[in-house]
Amino acid sequence: MKDSVAQPRKHRSVARRKLFNNSFSVICLLVSSLAIVVLATLLVAIFSTGGNWLSFEMLAGSHRENNPEESGIGQAILGSLVICSICGLVALPIGVGTAIFLEEFKPKGRLLRIFHGLVQLNINNLAGVPSIVYGILGLTAFVYMFGAFSPIRVNDQPDYEIGATYFYQTKTLGGNYVRFPAVPLIQPVIKIKQGQIASKINGDKFKLNVVSASTEKSEYANQVNETVLLGTEAKLSNRNGNEVYEAKTIGGEPFVFPAEATYSQFAKIIDPITVSNSAGDTFSLNVLSKSEPIPTNPTILAQSVFADSPDPNKRASASIFRENSFFHLHLPFSKSVLSAALTLALVILPIVIIASQEAIRGVPQTLREAAFGMGATRWQVVRSAVLPSATPGIMTGAILAMSRAIGEAAPLLAVMGGVLGTTNHLSSLMDKTPVLPVTIFKWAGDENQGFEHLAAAAIIVLLAFLLLMNSLAIFIRYRYEKKLS
Amino acid sequence: MSNLASSTRMNQSRSILSNTIAQASTATLETPAENESIAIDITGFNAFYGSFQALHDLNLKIPNQKVTAFIGPSGCGKSTLLKWCNRMNDIVPIARATGSLNVGGRNILTRSTDVVDLRRQVGMVFQKANPFPKSIFDNVAYGVRLHYKTSRSELSDLVEWSLKKAALWDEVKDRLKRSALGLSGGQQQRLCIARAIATGPEILLMDEPCSALDPASTARIEDLIFELREQFTIVIVTHNMQQAARCSDRTAFFFDGKIVEEGATEDVFTRPRKQQTEDYVTGKFG
Repeated sequence: MKDSVAQPRKHRSVARRKLFNNSFSVICLLVSSLAIVVLATLLVAIFSTGGNWLSFEMLAGSHRENNPEESGIGQAILGSLVICSICGLVALPIGVGTAIFLEEFKPKGRLLRIFHGLVQLNINNLAGVPSIVYGILGLTAFVYMFGAFSPIRVNDQPDYEIGATYFYQTKTLGGNYVRFPAVPLIQPVIKIKQGQIASKINGDKFKLNVVSASTEKSEYANQVNETVLLGTEAKLSNRNGNEVYEAKTIGGEPFVFPAEATYSQFAKIIDPITVSNSAGDTFSLNVLSKSEPIPTNPTILAQSVFADSPDPNKRASASIFRENSFFHLHLPFSKSVLSAALTLALVILPIVIIASQEAIRGVPQTLREAAFGMGATRWQVVRSAVLPSATPGIMTGAILAMSRAIGEAAPLLAVMGGVLGTTNHLSSLMDKTPVLPVTIFKWAGDENQGFEHLAAAAIIVLLAFLLLMNSLAIFIRYRYEKKLS
Repeated sequence: MSNLASSTRMNQSRSILSNTIAQASTATLETPAENESIAIDITGFNAFYGSFQALHDLNLKIPNQKVTAFIGPSGCGKSTLLKWCNRMNDIVPIARATGSLNVGGRNILTRSTDVVDLRRQVGMVFQKANPFPKSIFDNVAYGVRLHYKTSRSELSDLVEWSLKKAALWDEVKDRLKRSALGLSGGQQQRLCIARAIATGPEILLMDEPCSALDPASTARIEDLIFELREQFTIVIVTHNMQQAARCSDRTAFFFDGKIVEEGATEDVFTRPRKQQTEDYVTGKFG
């Protein structure tokens, strides 16, 4: 018997196999073209809806209520870019550090190995968690800080903060605003101290000289020595034949001060002027204006912008003006740019870590051996051999992760709320800002038809950003690959 | 033209080699002389990968400023022993070893051994040339920068010295700032040798340094090994019997995790004491 090698008798039909082969490639082609058709339809729809609405004014402007023609996405673009870059700055070092730990510092001890495994397991799972879950996490962790500080009240003053200067803002009878530095910061009762520097909105500074002529005449008089409390609106009235202004302090004490020669019926206070409260305490208010000549509307402390509320807390807060420096920070972070950026950093952290791990794993083992063989410590191996070779991969991963971050709406809605426009410019990390995806979300659901077109235009801008970032990633990868080979 | 040049150079180096072998073999006795200093002293050495024992109770003395070749079939443990000589096996999590492996009079298997300093003293050249994706200069300066604080001029002197030692200087002196990856395979391997000797090691371990190279490059490296013997103790693992015969003073034949025979190269190749050795060096198996 020659046929010791078993030979099956029945042949499969070649024609049938070829038919299967051909039909499968046709199916593959159909499926992939379906995806392209859907994408193309989407693009055409968006461009036809929003293409005409794209303009320079639209790119630079900001949201106007009920006025889509004059609304724009300038603030939203800036907000998105700021949040995205902070998010990258936070996520990149943490992500790369974690990846280095997971790949290059694999521990030998049993307990640490379990920890290592747990971290790896967590990261693999976290990559698939929906972003709204991160939004709620960010709300708890960054906005409210687990309620570790005082109970949260919206717009309340935070427990700890730096970079903010508080002023009490008061309107003069001449219609000017005057600001007094409010010291200490959190004080339910407004105090103006002797020697304090106040300033007008236009920047004129003057010194307050508060002199009490009386001592211990009233319950209130003790404080009068050092403070004058400016209260509600002053009224012109007549006392004993003299024209006087009557004003009320926050404490409810009426002040009376003489109305001298007036400009258009308004009193002006020129140094010194004597005021008194109802208890008969008199003290003089020395206002030294530094601006020369004295403006036609000199500083007249009379009309107050304090809300006329029986609750001293509210009355005080109504008049507080906060000037934020660029490094303004407070705890908890509340609904702010920083909270949003940190939350987005959480969203992209698993992606950054996994991409960095892949990049580090892709570094040839021979490079590590070479470095170890030269007597490099583990860190020196990482620093001088692994990281330089892994950088393009890490950068590509980071940019792709950030392009995911820039398109996220859900966590931002949870953490910052649906901000559409702000009156102030973005000045610090504690401000709120509109961002592109949230703006699109809110506009698309607006009753005003115009905003729908505007949303489509904003989508085009967002897509352009995504395209830009993705091509940057491809460019970096291409350039480094060329450089390394 | 270049082929011709390289072949004549090869012939030259071959003849130099054979001369030197003759000299060396007459000078070397059967066992290391009593007064000859020992660079690496291995006694009762066992190596494991997990539960698998790769090396069994080895005893070997590697003399100073000589070339010692490890030969043997694949998987016999010669690379494992070599890698333990500067603790490169630390990278492998499941590798462990018992017994004593003395380098410079200290047992380097102890936990207290400073691996970083050990690897400065015991340099390593790998099977496949593995230059860093940096410039030629930075490659040679790499180890120096790890271990020493040097001025710029000191560093460039050292780089030049190392490259000259590695017989690479004339070929690369005009392109020190170019990427090392642009060099040919043989040049890359000589660069790795220059890199290894730049930190001033006493011992050089070479793990099949020529296995990925063409004959011309191999000849140049063998040439180099012979010159380096003046200054360094060299241990070389090789699959190429001719190579071991050409450029080593002493040879150890490994089989199945044990040293079957060890002695002067001349004796191992021409008058093997064991049948197994004879079979291997004559090409009956392996």
